[in-house]
Amino acid sequence: MNRRMRSLHRSMGAVVALFVMMLAITGMMLNHTSELKLDQRYLTWNWLLEHYGVATVEADAVFLLDQKVISQFDKQLFVDAQPVTQVQRPIIGGVVIDALMIVATDNALILLSPEGEFIERMTSAAGVPPMIQNIGLFHGDPVLQTRDGMWRSDFLLEQWEKISLSGISWSSPQPMPDSVEVDLAEYFHGKGITVETFILDLHNGRIIDRFGVWFLDVFAVLIILISLTGLWMWARQLR
Amino acid sequence: MNRVGFSMRSIVVITLLMIAFSVFARGVYQTDEAFLAEAFNDEVPKSQVVWVKGDLRTSISDILGHRYAGLRIRYWHKDGRKAWILEEIGKEKPITFGIITVKDKVEKVKVLAFRESRGGEIRYPAFTQQFDDAKLSENNLDRHIDGISGATLSVRAMTAIVTLALYLDKFTSQQS
Repeated sequence: MNRRMRSLHRSMGAVVALFVMMLAITGMMLNHTSELKLDQRYLTWNWLLEHYGVATVEADAVFLLDQKVISQFDKQLFVDAQPVTQVQRPIIGGVVIDALMIVATDNALILLSPEGEFIERMTSAAGVPPMIQNIGLFHGDPVLQTRDGMWRSDFLLEQWEKISLSGISWSSPQPMPDSVEVDLAEYFHGKGITVETFILDLHNGRIIDRFGVWFLDVFAVLIILISLTGLWMWARQLR
Repeated sequence: MNRVGFSMRSIVVITLLMIAFSVFARGVYQTDEAFLAEAFNDEVPKSQVVWVKGDLRTSISDILGHRYAGLRIRYWHKDGRKAWILEEIGKEKPITFGIITVKDKVEKVKVLAFRESRGGEIRYPAFTQQFDDAKLSENNLDRHIDGISGATLSVRAMTAIVTLALYLDKFTSQQS
């Protein structure tokens, strides 16, 4: 009986030793988070960011205007990775005329400077035709396709004349460029995963979600068993 | 047991009513075009713009308490009356205000669109009439505006935006 207990104690000890070391090392690191600046250091390994679900972002709409990436996330309009203004309706296209970026929703034109600064939102109160379906360019002039027909204006965007043209280059959605997606992911999710978070999740098992917690429960039971077998053998020796 | 059931039902009904009220408070009460048509008796003048730059930008930032998000502001001017359609965030979402100013005074203030979940009471005439004939006094309103319980941020936004409209009225008058 004593020999069997000793064998069980040794087997469990070998398994437990590895995890005890991991817990001890991560525990010591967490004890010195401030000194080691673990909360200020970031991990940006792709597999880790994907594991935490912070590697990518998905815009509702993306348009490339000149050298700028215009995107919408919910009600926020972004130029590259900078939030510029709120939009209440989905953006449906954009064009560049002279030194002006024009982004269209179904009921407004949003004017942006070449640097991406928000200038103004023009609605039908300022003469913009309502029920916009698309925006395009014809020989450098902005053209709107609306439910009520096609309209052309000049760079002032205040006077619109009804027209019927062909050969208009209409705005169309584009995929998000990788470089801007990385910046936007940083905007929404921060610089990455802090070393502190990673170590803490290793320590408490949450690095592998709920399985990690159960895994540590099993490990805790093993420690209890190894303690009991150790105590039992010690008691036997005393006798 | 019946009393407990009754009070639980009452709580549920009251909660649903409160949710319904806050949802109904959101919405577009008047379109920009309808506001302008009403302001100018269906003869809406061509719009004009004022560029927000230099000292004007600084003054606007002081009035609003934050940087104005935009490089120009559009307004409509006819026979001494100016109409302003301005937006300001109450708590999280923009509220659209329509303001008519005449000779440095407020003639009318309306909430055109309200998107917040709370504070919609600011649209009622009983509240907005506090701004009637309000003037500027050292870049503030010349009067105290009584608040509404639960609508502090919306009241603050409205007060700031009316002050801004008066300031812009004065600024554009000096420019022309």
